[in-house]
Amino acid sequence: MSTANGGAGTTSSEAKMSPAEIRLQMEHDIVSAMQKPTLGYWAAVFLCATVFVVGLLGCWAWQIYKGMGVAGIMNPVGWGVYITNFVFWVGIAHSGTLISAVLFLFRARFRSSFNRAAEAMTVIAVLCAGMYPLIHLGRMWYFFWLFPYPNQRLIWANFKSPLEWDVFAVSTYLIVSVTFFYVGLIPDLAIIKRYTKGASRWIYSAFSLGWRGTKEQWRHYNTLYALLAGLATPLVLSVHSVVSWDFAMGIVPGWHTTIFAPYFVAGAIFSGTAMVMTLVIPLRKIQRLERLITLEHFDRLAKVLLFTSLIVAYAYTTEFILAYYSGNVYEFGIFQHRAIGHYKFFYWGMVICNTVIPLPLFKKALRQNLVFLFVISIFVNIGMWLERFVIIVTSLSHEYVPYSHGNYTPSWVEGGITLGTFGFFFMMFLLFAKFLPVVAVTEKKEEVH
Amino acid sequence: MTESTESSTSTPAERFVFGSEHDFLEKLKTLVKSGVKAKDIEILAPHPVHKAEEILSLKPSGVRVFALVGALIGAATGYLFPAFTVIDWPLISGNRPMVSIPPFTIIAFELMILFGALSAFLGFILMSRIPDVITIISDTEFKNDFEIVVKPGGVV
Repeated sequence: MSTANGGAGTTSSEAKMSPAEIRLQMEHDIVSAMQKPTLGYWAAVFLCATVFVVGLLGCWAWQIYKGMGVAGIMNPVGWGVYITNFVFWVGIAHSGTLISAVLFLFRARFRSSFNRAAEAMTVIAVLCAGMYPLIHLGRMWYFFWLFPYPNQRLIWANFKSPLEWDVFAVSTYLIVSVTFFYVGLIPDLAIIKRYTKGASRWIYSAFSLGWRGTKEQWRHYNTLYALLAGLATPLVLSVHSVVSWDFAMGIVPGWHTTIFAPYFVAGAIFSGTAMVMTLVIPLRKIQRLERLITLEHFDRLAKVLLFTSLIVAYAYTTEFILAYYSGNVYEFGIFQHRAIGHYKFFYWGMVICNTVIPLPLFKKALRQNLVFLFVISIFVNIGMWLERFVIIVTSLSHEYVPYSHGNYTPSWVEGGITLGTFGFFFMMFLLFAKFLPVVAVTEKKEEVH
Repeated sequence: MTESTESSTSTPAERFVFGSEHDFLEKLKTLVKSGVKAKDIEILAPHPVHKAEEILSLKPSGVRVFALVGALIGAATGYLFPAFTVIDWPLISGNRPMVSIPPFTIIAFELMILFGALSAFLGFILMSRIPDVITIISDTEFKNDFEIVVKPGGVV
C-alpha cells in the first residue's frame, strides 16, 4: 500500500502496512506531536510572550499614555512602520488561503501537508494586521467609528473611501478565514477526542460538534469545503487589491498606478509562502513529521515561491519602466529617489532579497535542501517587509513640492511594537502547534489507497 | 472484514466493518445491486469517499442553496446599505455621485462573500444535524474504519 503523493511519503515499513494501519500511523504521528510539551517548548512560548507583552503591549501603552508624538511619523511621512506592518501582515495572511483554497480547487495534493499550518498562519497574521490600523489611529478606543452603525453623531461611514473598503475587506477576510480553518478542523478534532481524556476530551469533543463521519455529514462537508474554497479564492484576490487601492487611489507619485492590485497580490502570495516555509521547516523537525511532510512537498512549495518571485521581479521592472516611459517627472523622480536617494539601501535590499536570492531555486537539489530553503525564506520575509516600507515611505517623503520633502526615521516605540507583533505571531503559532493538529489528518488519510 | 448484528431493535441491523476503502466500496456496490435502498444504508467513513456518494446516487447537498441565497442577500445589502446611508446623510466626496456604484461594488463583493460563506456554514450545521449533543457527551467516536450499517427493514 502506498500514499498518493508520488510515492514521496512512502517508507519501506509503510509498504508492508495495511491501509488501516497507515491511517492509524498518521493519527499517531500527529497526536504524538501534540503530547507532553517539553521545557524547551515552554521556554520558547515564554520568550515570545515576553516580546509580545513588553514590545507590543508595553510600547503601545506608552504611545497611548504619551500620545502619537512618540512615534516617528510626522509630516510629510504620515504613514510609516505601522502601515508597513499592516500591509506586511495582510500579505503574510494571504498564502494561507492560497495554499488551502486555490490549491484545493486545483486538486494539488501536496497542499495537505501545509494547509493546516498555513490556515493557522492566516488567522494569526490577520489578527496582527488588524491591530495596526488601531495602533495607527492613536485614539484606538474610538475604533468602532470605522463601522457603519446608527449613532448620535447622525453620520455614517464614507463608503467611497478606500479605508472603509479596508474595514470590510479585512473583517470579511478574518471571518471567512476563521470559518475555513475551523471547518477543516472539525473531523480532526473528533480524531483527537479519541486520544484524550478528562477535560481535554470534553473540549475536543465539544469543538468537533459530535462528528461521526456519516454519509450525510461528509456529503454536506464536501460541499461546504468546496464552496468555502471557491468563495475564499476571489476573496484573497480582492483583499490585497483593496489594500493596494489604499495607495493607488491616492495621487501620490509612486502609488497612483493600475498595476498595484496584481503586484500586491503576487507579493502577498510570495511573502506568505516564505513565511509558511519559515514556520513549517522547524516545525517538521521538532514534531518529527518527516513522514507526513516530505521533501517532495517542499520542492513544490519552493516552485510556488520561485514563480511568485519572478512575478514580483517583473512588477518591479514594469513600474520602473512605466515611470520612465510616462514622461511624468514626479513619477520618475520617485523611482530615482528610491534607487539612489536616502532610502537606497532599503530599495536595493528589497530587490536583492526578493528577486536575486530566490533564483537558485531553479535547481532541484536546492529546492529540497531545507537549510537553504529556510535561509531563503528569512531573506524573502525581510525583503517583503522592505518592499512595503519602500513603497510607503519613499513616495511620501518625496512628493510633488521639494519644499515638502522630508525623511522619516522610525522611533524605538515603533520598533518595539513591530517586534512585539512578531512575538505575538510566533507565540500564537507555538500554541496552535501544541494544541491543534498541525497536519490535516483526515485529508492525509484520503491519500491512502 | 468483520460482520455483526445489532439486536437492540426488533429487526436487527446489519453492520459491516472494513479496514480498506476498496473492500468497503465493493460491499457497498453489492448491497445496492441486491436492492438495498440508499436511505436504508448508513455509512461511517474516516474520510470523504466520493465514490460511495456515486454508488448511493446521493443528491447534491442543499448547502449550495444556502450559499447562493446568502451571497445574493450579501450583494444586495452591499449596494442598498451604502446607498441608504448617503441618502440618509448626504456625504459628497471626491465630486462623485452620492449613490456611486463603482465604490459600492467593492462593499457588495465583500458582503457577498461574507454572507455566502456564513450562510453556507449555517446550512452545513443545520443539514448535518450538528452539534450532535448525544455524540458529544457519549463515548461514541469518529473511527478509523469504514462501516456500513444496513438499517432494520433494509433487505440484504
